[in-house]
Amino acid sequence: MTTALRIAPRTAVVLVLASVAALATFSWPFFVPAQPESMARTTEAPLVFIAVLPILLALVLAELSSGGIDSKALAMLGVLAAVNAALRPLGAGTAGIETVFFLLVLAGRVFGPGFGFLLGATSLFASALLTAGVGPWLPFQMLAAAWIGLGAGLLPARLRGRAEIAVLAGYGALAAYGYGLLMNLWFWPFSIGADTQLSYVAGAPVLDNLHRFAVFTAVTSTFGWDTGRAITTVMAIVLVGPAVLAALRRAARRAAFDAPVTFATTPGPAIPPGQASGLGVRPPG
Amino acid sequence: MTDQATADGVGRQAPVTPPDSRSALAGRLPRALHPGAWWLWALGLATAASHTTNPLPLALLIAAAALVVVRRRGDAPWAFAFRMYLILGAVIVAMRVVFRLVFGGGQGDHVLLHLPEIPLPAWAAGIRLFGPVAAEQLLGGFYDGLRLATMLICLGAANALANPKRLLKAVPGALYAVSTAVVVALSVAPQLVESVLRVRRARRLRGAARQGLRALRGIALPVLADALDRSLALAAAMDSRGYGRTAAIPAGQRALTGGLVLAGLVGVCVGTYGLLDATVPGYLGLPMLIVGLATAVAGMLLAGRQVRRSRYRPDRWRITEVVVAGCGVATAVVMAVAGSVDPVRLYPPVSPLTWPELTPLMLLVVAVAVAPAWLAPPPTLAAHRTPRPVLTAPNGTTRSSPKRDTSESEAQR
Repeated sequence: MTTALRIAPRTAVVLVLASVAALATFSWPFFVPAQPESMARTTEAPLVFIAVLPILLALVLAELSSGGIDSKALAMLGVLAAVNAALRPLGAGTAGIETVFFLLVLAGRVFGPGFGFLLGATSLFASALLTAGVGPWLPFQMLAAAWIGLGAGLLPARLRGRAEIAVLAGYGALAAYGYGLLMNLWFWPFSIGADTQLSYVAGAPVLDNLHRFAVFTAVTSTFGWDTGRAITTVMAIVLVGPAVLAALRRAARRAAFDAPVTFATTPGPAIPPGQASGLGVRPPG
Repeated sequence: MTDQATADGVGRQAPVTPPDSRSALAGRLPRALHPGAWWLWALGLATAASHTTNPLPLALLIAAAALVVVRRRGDAPWAFAFRMYLILGAVIVAMRVVFRLVFGGGQGDHVLLHLPEIPLPAWAAGIRLFGPVAAEQLLGGFYDGLRLATMLICLGAANALANPKRLLKAVPGALYAVSTAVVVALSVAPQLVESVLRVRRARRLRGAARQGLRALRGIALPVLADALDRSLALAAAMDSRGYGRTAAIPAGQRALTGGLVLAGLVGVCVGTYGLLDATVPGYLGLPMLIVGLATAVAGMLLAGRQVRRSRYRPDRWRITEVVVAGCGVATAVVMAVAGSVDPVRLYPPVSPLTWPELTPLMLLVVAVAVAPAWLAPPPTLAAHRTPRPVLTAPNGTTRSSPKRDTSESEAQR
């Protein structure tokens, strides 16, 4: 497997720390304490987390690209994000049809975890700009999609053929449900507010709140949106997955991300002009 | 954009304007405001809206945002997104009220109507649907929902007014690579449509008349392959134009920036924990979170100095930008003052039911919020734009086709 973007040890640590903090910005309703001033606390806490998450996301994105992204990886990132952003409106409006995840999973698989993370984030950002869907939910969507791309890159590398498609399809279904769950979790305190029987209760035991959340998510979205999203993703991976994987692998081979860039020291016209442009090696594919 | 705007103004005002008076006039000439100014203004309005549940100032804030959008938006595609945010706001309010109706606990004295109760099975223990519907309950949902909807609509105003492409140019250096990828994505997405049309035409020429899933596959895969090839060509073009030039940063400074980011993130994790755990001392909560974020962001900004880039026609931060952004900040500040002076008027109690009231300070908030509708320069519209000087070859044919021309001006915005 090629890796279009290397993750240095320091970047991995940053990624883990930021992900832990970010997970708290999703799941705070389970842990938020009941206090005398809990009313003030529950109206302030969501706003604090909404302000914190974009900064965390910016930190991770900056750290991932801190070594400087190779121009081929960057162009690939932009083009795949454009394809994803163009695919997204195809499904919107029809309940539960989600066309973004399959390419995200496949590209994360081929180009590695770091690239998958960036692709998830940039895809949703570009799509939000194209359809003007920028709002407080955007950083949360970007992060959830980035985690999906990251996870796809971390799947066992040796699998090929039918087993690979089966694993990817399973992961796709899992990711579809997980994304729905995370977005529901984020939206839960905002959509219904306090004091209904499905709202979170500050300071209540975690299990109690989990139960309320389970009912909320089952009532609102699991059977409609999330299942539809999972079915679309699995079908897309099974039907066009092998062909798309082949196309992506061919592009990865041609781009030769792993090839070291060397500068010849011999003076004179020893280097053909086509190779001096920075590509370093002639693409083998 | 800037020189175009001045060219516009020169045509309409005096034939010759000395440079200094022209820069003073620049506030009134049609030009695109720095996107950051619009975002600061909108965030100020959203902050102000978050400080009240009184529906009267909230409705006035929505009206103020709408008026500024209608008077100062351009004619770019994103300028017409405001309607979507209004609809979304209405959906949020409706959702809150409906959820209270269906799942509400039935608190409140003024019961409007009795709906039949439906107890749910054991897996949803303790939850019943419908039941008595109290006015207090619905009103509470409406107030809360309206506050959230107002904040959202204010952000929608920024979406409609600010140019996202120019905003991407203003990101700090550390995010330069990611923002470049987004710019690539935004420019490639329209080309995909053209690619689809090309592949379909080629298929028809070959006599492939199959419909349905197979046809989709026959179109989608060539388009994907085309896009991937395009990315390699783009990478070569970027290489040849010097993308990826970095400044030499000593190893010590790199270790420092890395250490700042790591220490800051540890601080953020501790701060988040402190915010959620009531038993730890208070300074481990929000203060720790803010210190951690500031440290990490400082590290990120330092790391961004490694990136060397040049800007084509940078957006300048002029006096009008300061005024517009200042209106947003002033809106938030005055609302906070109003909250400390008279908290009851800003959070009208639901039980007992009281009529919401406006105070002079709230009216001042709205007046400051709406001021950019007149203070900001009018937008540049394609219809009013002076025709671009077109290079003509001696035989009279134009150098660039009209289609190429629009895509070019689109990219420069």
